[in-house]
Amino acid sequence: MVRERCGPARRVAVTGVGAVSGFGWGIEPLWAGLSSGRAAIAGFGRFDHAGHRTHVAAEVPALPAALARRTSGRRLSIADRFALSAAFEALAAAGLPGDLAGEVAGVYFGSSTGGMWEGERFIAGLLTATPRLRTSLLASQQVNGPGDAVARRLGVSGPVETLSSACASGGLALGAALDALRAGEVDLALAGGADSLCEITYGGFNALRSVSEEPCRPFRAGRDGLSIGEGAVVLVLESEERALERGARPLAFLAGAGASCDAHHMTAPEPAGRGAAAAIRAALADAGLAPGEIDFVNAHATGTPLNDAAEWRAFVEVFGARAAGLPVTATKGSIGHLLGSSGAIEAVATVLCLRHGEVHPTPAGGEVDPELPVDLVLGSPRPLTARAALSTSLAFGGSNAALVFTRAGA
Amino acid sequence: MTGVAITGLGLVGAYGLGTEGLAAALASGAARGAEIDRSAGYHLPDSARSAILAGNLQLAPWVHPGEARRMSPPSKFAVAAARIALAQAGLTPGGGEPGEGEATAVVLATAFGPASFTDQLMRQIVREGPQAASPFYFSECVANAPAAQIAIAAGARGANVTVVEREAGVLLAVAKGAAEIASGRARRALVGAAEEIPPLVHALLDRFRALSRGAAGEEAGRPFDRRRDGFLAGEGAAVLVLEREEDALARGARPLARIAGWVRAFDPSAPATDWGTGAAGLALALDRGLARFGLDAGGFDRVVSGASGALAGDRLESAVLRAAWRDRPLPPVLAPKGVTGEYGGGFLSAAVLAAAGMPFGPTAGFSEPDPELGVIPHDGRPLAPPRRLLVTGLAAGGAAVWLALEAAGAAP
Repeated sequence: MVRERCGPARRVAVTGVGAVSGFGWGIEPLWAGLSSGRAAIAGFGRFDHAGHRTHVAAEVPALPAALARRTSGRRLSIADRFALSAAFEALAAAGLPGDLAGEVAGVYFGSSTGGMWEGERFIAGLLTATPRLRTSLLASQQVNGPGDAVARRLGVSGPVETLSSACASGGLALGAALDALRAGEVDLALAGGADSLCEITYGGFNALRSVSEEPCRPFRAGRDGLSIGEGAVVLVLESEERALERGARPLAFLAGAGASCDAHHMTAPEPAGRGAAAAIRAALADAGLAPGEIDFVNAHATGTPLNDAAEWRAFVEVFGARAAGLPVTATKGSIGHLLGSSGAIEAVATVLCLRHGEVHPTPAGGEVDPELPVDLVLGSPRPLTARAALSTSLAFGGSNAALVFTRAGA
Repeated sequence: MTGVAITGLGLVGAYGLGTEGLAAALASGAARGAEIDRSAGYHLPDSARSAILAGNLQLAPWVHPGEARRMSPPSKFAVAAARIALAQAGLTPGGGEPGEGEATAVVLATAFGPASFTDQLMRQIVREGPQAASPFYFSECVANAPAAQIAIAAGARGANVTVVEREAGVLLAVAKGAAEIASGRARRALVGAAEEIPPLVHALLDRFRALSRGAAGEEAGRPFDRRRDGFLAGEGAAVLVLEREEDALARGARPLARIAGWVRAFDPSAPATDWGTGAAGLALALDRGLARFGLDAGGFDRVVSGASGALAGDRLESAVLRAAWRDRPLPPVLAPKGVTGEYGGGFLSAAVLAAAGMPFGPTAGFSEPDPELGVIPHDGRPLAPPRRLLVTGLAAGGAAVWLALEAAGAAP
């Protein structure tokens, strides 16, 4: 008999967030960029993309000198550095030190590429018989590199897990952290993800004809693909009791998580959105909320024709007639698709919307597809004193994750 | 809380389809190493040459050739292993009661993903240009392709999760699947690992000196041995069927074993590419984690150790075991990675076979005790069937997972 000893049901608070995105290093540039309705998707310089079909991505700007120290390390990948910056920012925001050796803490990360950019450089060197290849390029090339790097730097001794279920990874990682906190396995969780631009994913999505030549246009008529982004995000999660005891102010609560699988196709979503709907229902049930209690949605919304259509149908299945009137925002329109960490950075965007009392807009991109009549927030932030919000992640391979956040003080 | 039973075990790898070949190898203590293809030029001249390879397996009875041509090698391994496991459990993929698919989760581990397809994609991009990249290679090179293919093959519409924590990943997958069931979110879970060891992965592991280069003669994984010089990489897949114990018993299934608990921890002293030295911290985490399940190290009568022949890995493993048991003698320690190799699920399969009471022969690769380690693995003498087993998984880079298994016949 499994006799895991669980504590009483706990409300799980978000007490700190940190981010790195195409808008820059930090939460402040992320929120300013999202609120502006601009897109950080443009030409980029990580690698020579002249031979690729498309030429835009949401690349993270150069590391500010002020942040160099906390992300230093000879054998770290770019994604590791993003992750470390986000982790230190989140801990500082939560009023916690950058050393967790004395805490019962865990790290829960979602990632698709990890240190693949560095791994690619090494493999390309092998293929072109480049002399004196640096093995250090491989030191953190694995998908679990960023999560492990954060745990190592912070002295974490509790559970550390990296999930790599394509675009659902970040959402699943937050769900894993929620489980661990509720079960009393950890007192403190750092949940998030990190991914960096690399040529395999850029070339691979292009080979699938899934990348748009222009910044992506989620839910719009004539949308023709996604935009790749990069970055990292970390949320500090802890029980409400613990947060209040140490004088921390919750930014929001992670109220529920749900997961499902389409079991349909490797690259195409189940067209009726049944898998996505199942994940949303599971998250709502976990949060103890009815569909009518959700005030806005941060949608997965990649901008690919099939994904957005399936997601809309999932909304209709769960929210019924209310689906068309539910405010929806699509963070990927601003910062691109962060792949395995997209669910986590969109979770942070959701928290920020709840915190600021407004839903960030999706950048301009033409008329909303009349076949998918979402109430897409456009132009400028929409004031909304929301009580609860939903964030969805629908992955390559059919894995789906949904998260429900509630406003602190609601 | 719900009990979790293991009712099916599917294995695909160097010892064939199913567990018969592996069981024979474990009973005799004989590994089946094979020579890796080094012709791509990825290897250093003095590199390791051996691995525990799946070879030319005939998967057609379990994966139709029409399906197989749309899959990477680890996806094929995984789907075959899942179907074997479901058949052993007496279950029909996609069949059963309404809602069964929704209540079936998949949690699979991989360390390197479908790496031969990643290799092919890189070759296309580097040598022929980015627009030569194959959409097929890309869609099947993602880490979660094998888990997704299992879901499609089995109609499993519950949570679908791929975990990546190197050598600890396979036990993490089992723990997460068991937690899905124990929490009530799933009634059934297909859990395990899938891995391929193409020349690229072998060469890269070798560059970090992770693999045995045959310092003591033949290249071999030598768990706890003084002459150990690295492990042999293993490929294949192992999938377990986990289900609520009450469901299994109600439908007349005969559980192979029961999952009694799991512990997760991290050793921050570990560098990214090797094992650390934080035995005291890990032993403390193990002690506290077991207590959450009402368990204690002294209550285990068998250890199935993840020792592989890695220099620092086996040093850490033995230090953690000695610290966890304090002044108590260790129970018999089985160390099957000399046979199964590292990765690919062979180790998990060996652990379940051990829990099911299968006899183990002498530890493959072990002959000279290392006085620094102070752990002598099983010498092959007959042992009483175990009641409760601790399965250990310490990863290079720091992750650690332990699994507590109980014999199916033992009182919970």
